[in-house]
Amino acid sequence: MKVMVCLKQVPHQDARLDVNADGTWIQEDNIKFEINSYDTYAVEEALRLKDAGDAEVVVVSIGPDRVTAALRTALGMGADRAVHVNDAAAQGADALGIAKILAAVAKEEGADVIFAGLMAEDDNASAIPPMVAELLGFPSATGVLATDFSADTVTVERELEGGALEVVELPKPCLIAIQSGANQVRYASLKGIMQAKKKPVDVKTLADLGLAESASAAQNKTTVNKVYVPAKGDTAEILSGSTDEVVGQLVTKIKELGLL
Amino acid sequence: MGTILVVAEIQKGAIRDASYELVAAARGIEGAEVNGLVIGSGVGDLASEFASKGAGKTLVVDDPAAANYNVDVWSKAIKAAAEASGADLILISNTPTGWDVAPRIAAGLDCAFVSDAIRVAGGDGGYNLVRRIFNGKLDAEVSTSGKTVASMQPGAGTAYEGSSDGGTEALSTDLSAIAKFVEIKIAASTGVDLTKADVIVSGGRGVGDPEKFPEIIQPLADALGGAMGASRPVVDAGWLDHPYQVGSSGQIVAPKLYIAAGISGAIQHLVGMKASNFIVAINKDPDAPIFEVADVGIVADLFDIVPALSEAVKAAKG
Ligand SMILES: Cc1cc2nc3c(=O)[nH]c(=O)nc-3n(C[C@H](O)[C@H](O)[C@H](O)COP(=O)(O)OP(=O)(O)OC[C@H]3O[C@@H](n4cnc5c(N)ncnc54)[C@H](O)[C@@H]3O)c2cc1C
Ligand SMILES: Cc1cc2nc3c(=O)[nH]c(=O)nc-3n(C[C@H](O)[C@H](O)[C@H](O)COP(=O)(O)OP(=O)(O)OC[C@H]3O[C@@H](n4cnc5c(N)ncnc54)[C@H](O)[C@@H]3O)c2cc1C
Repeated sequence: MKVMVCLKQVPHQDARLDVNADGTWIQEDNIKFEINSYDTYAVEEALRLKDAGDAEVVVVSIGPDRVTAALRTALGMGADRAVHVNDAAAQGADALGIAKILAAVAKEEGADVIFAGLMAEDDNASAIPPMVAELLGFPSATGVLATDFSADTVTVERELEGGALEVVELPKPCLIAIQSGANQVRYASLKGIMQAKKKPVDVKTLADLGLAESASAAQNKTTVNKVYVPAKGDTAEILSGSTDEVVGQLVTKIKELGLL
Repeated sequence: MGTILVVAEIQKGAIRDASYELVAAARGIEGAEVNGLVIGSGVGDLASEFASKGAGKTLVVDDPAAANYNVDVWSKAIKAAAEASGADLILISNTPTGWDVAPRIAAGLDCAFVSDAIRVAGGDGGYNLVRRIFNGKLDAEVSTSGKTVASMQPGAGTAYEGSSDGGTEALSTDLSAIAKFVEIKIAASTGVDLTKADVIVSGGRGVGDPEKFPEIIQPLADALGGAMGASRPVVDAGWLDHPYQVGSSGQIVAPKLYIAAGISGAIQHLVGMKASNFIVAINKDPDAPIFEVADVGIVADLFDIVPALSEAVKAAKG
């Protein structure tokens, strides 16, 4: 079984976020990047299938040179191969553009199961995975916390609101977008990291995938015009002073609430 | 502006408030005609209600195949309704249903897509929307060209309260599905019921270490006679069990006092605690969105503040 995992590299969760000079995205120079946290759970879910049988796990990422590090980490965790779509024309493509690229890779790979994350931590779109499924004519499920594989189908549990779970059966081939917390993610072992150095990373351009005219940022139907720090609304009263002073003020407030 | 198709969502036998927020958003767009869509089984009355409470002319896909949510059924129903109404904007709520189906519609129609928007307005050959990115730390202004599918953040606007006429119209279309609905399960709840606590002290990813919860968060909760809570990453990492989680996929709480330490204030967490009577946020990042909902904020290291506060509370109690 061929299992593909879509993986995005995003700014580190603790990275300082500054808007760039033209106000259209964040300043990406000199910040740390990491694998989107939701995607680490997707990689783990795929690796469990590999551990249980004969799955080949291919991790796929679209992005600039820095993305190699994310792919190497996933290979170090145990993925077999990586595909890196590295093309300046794909930089800043909208969700549908990225989805078209991922769908083309899935076709080329002959993926039986595609894993993705529920959401990317940077743009928070939760858009790409169902788009990929639609483009391929695959059934899909998002926000998945549990998977149960049989020969022809996958039964998944989707997280709803208020503690409810929706159980859905998807025939293969299918796409599953994983919610965080679905499993406990393994770390890349030292041995894994050493082995990863020998694993293949195929680098592709849009032209290689036959998409030069159809999936670039120039085709965007959705344009981000401006990114900014939201205007502060009714913000909190900020207590200032030494630790003892702010704690003292807070105790007074708690007393006023009648809780002490 | 053209026609806006507002997709209703039914929850526990009623149309969700979020669906009426979509109606209000659509009605706020100058010169647009608003149409509704209701999908389900035996939903004629709900469709009439939607048509008369703001959605205007409402298409109804009423079919046993739609008794439970199914991604393929919804995808086909919405695409058929988009075509029947000639809509150039399709609005849906960003709920587990919305994020499952809305992107499929946009890909199927090969059109623009914007998710989790907090505002929408007419634009030049498309629509202009505002959405939150980086978990609420930044906003983005986005414009679309041509036909657009957009999902809106529940609670970002207020529900429409006016009325409309337009009546309902049955829409029948192929609803065959590949995915199969099996059942809805309710996760077993264990022990901790945060909804009864007067005081909740929650720790987030900023606490950084599972040991610190019993070491510093629980003692403050104990000193205040309250309970300990957490944000989702704490639970995902296995540091605390799910019953401690506050938020849209955890417990929805409204204690007299809620203290958030090392929690940034992502919308999914805010939904679970913003109705609290008094909110204290402790975070070393002055721009953290949590300060927007807090009554009192302390911009500092939680490892300095929380233990000192525990001692001060104990001292105050004598
Ligand atoms: C400088 C810059 C400019 C941009 N300009 C625009 C613009 O004008 N208009 C616009 O619409 N967008 C623009 N974007 C793109 C936008 O930020 C998002 O990439 C896009 O909207 C999709 O949203 P998302 O990344 O949140 O994906 P989501 O749909 O939230 O991602 C869900 C999952 O899809 C998979 N996935 C996502 N991205 C990738 C990837 N690159 N490789 C592999 N798998 C992936 C992962 O599994 C991920 O967990 C720009 C981005 C940059 C960096
Ligand atoms: C469908 C869905 C459902 C979700 N449901 C929930 C839910 O029910 N509940 C929930 O909480 N989240 C939920 N989330 C996740 C949510 O989007 C955020 O990822 C999450 O709330 C972030 O948790 P956090 O604030 O603890 O972590 P972060 O966002 O990483 O914030 C950590 C904060 O700690 C601060 N900090 C770090 N060190 C210190 C220090 N020493 N002193 C003081 N401050 C410090 C940092 O400045 C930062 O603001 C959900 C997401 C999705 C997509």
